[in-house]
Amino acid sequence: MTDEPRQDPFDEAEYRRRQRSRANLMGWLLGGLAFLFFFITIARMVMPK
Amino acid sequence: MAQSLTHGETTLPADWRDLFALTKPRVMSLVVFTALCGLLAAPGSVHPVLAFSSILAIALGAGASGALNQWYEAGLDAKMKRTAGRPLPAGRLDPQTALQFGVGLAAFSVFLMLFASNWQAALLLAVSILFYVFVYTMWLKPRTPQNIVIGGAAGAFPPLIGWVAATGSIAPLPVLLFLLIFLWTPPHFWALALFVRSDYAAAGIPMMPVVAGEKSTRRQILFYALIMAAAAIAPWPLGFTGAIYGWTAVILSALFVLLSIQVGTRRSREEDSMQPEKRLFAFSIAYLFILFGAVVADHWWTL
Repeated sequence: MTDEPRQDPFDEAEYRRRQRSRANLMGWLLGGLAFLFFFITIARMVMPK
Repeated sequence: MAQSLTHGETTLPADWRDLFALTKPRVMSLVVFTALCGLLAAPGSVHPVLAFSSILAIALGAGASGALNQWYEAGLDAKMKRTAGRPLPAGRLDPQTALQFGVGLAAFSVFLMLFASNWQAALLLAVSILFYVFVYTMWLKPRTPQNIVIGGAAGAFPPLIGWVAATGSIAPLPVLLFLLIFLWTPPHFWALALFVRSDYAAAGIPMMPVVAGEKSTRRQILFYALIMAAAAIAPWPLGFTGAIYGWTAVILSALFVLLSIQVGTRRSREEDSMQPEKRLFAFSIAYLFILFGAVVADHWWTL
């Protein structure tokens, strides 16, 4: 992370690194949400009304 | 407005750490803690998965509010030393990305709350986000020195939402907890505003010390500390809490008032280190954490 706006020429390695880290994060988040929603559904089914 | 990280036609994807910083994680920790205490102090039991999901929804809602606040105030943040390093004013993040992130997170948090608990809690969460963004950030903050007095309501919602997520209804105790945070906000923020006064003045934000002056701000800190102390102790004599909470509130509120008297009765000099103000600001954070911890302790154990 830098504190100044970057003025350097296009850095493809940095572009790929950020894209990859964001894709990985999204994958983990979506996986986590799928689990969370599954467990919420089960919890709502077993909770007394 | 903040510069975006662009290279000709190509924009660098946002770094996740900058998106995380956009959610104001330190503010979020207090929000999560007070919401959790509201939920744990409520009568009855909540399924742990639903409790976790409700708290997660509140945390995401607070994060969304913080992100939208930073998106709207990027220009002002750039003028203040304290905030100039944030992702938007520092140019590490594109404003459009910040806006989409904030709106998406806000919508998702309300949906998650609706799915995991009840519509009453989801509605309160939506109201608190809208209140923080539209009433506090966009309307009050740039216009009136009373901004944090009225805007403090946004930060007071979490324990109420936690309670409603657990029970589906509002009761006197969470309303008193709402009132406590509402009255705690002015002395907390004005103590901060006293020692970063020049920052606010540079950005043109009409905080109380900038508009009404130092003397008036110090007097009002003391005034709010006194009524906050009364509101903090009130649940005990009213019979909503027991002695654990009661004595904790009495002792901590007395300390809060003492520190406020120090701040309220002094005047800063040239090159003042503002130690009493910094002490009050730091103590006010610990005060809220311990007091809300005491609400839960009191619910679980009785003296």
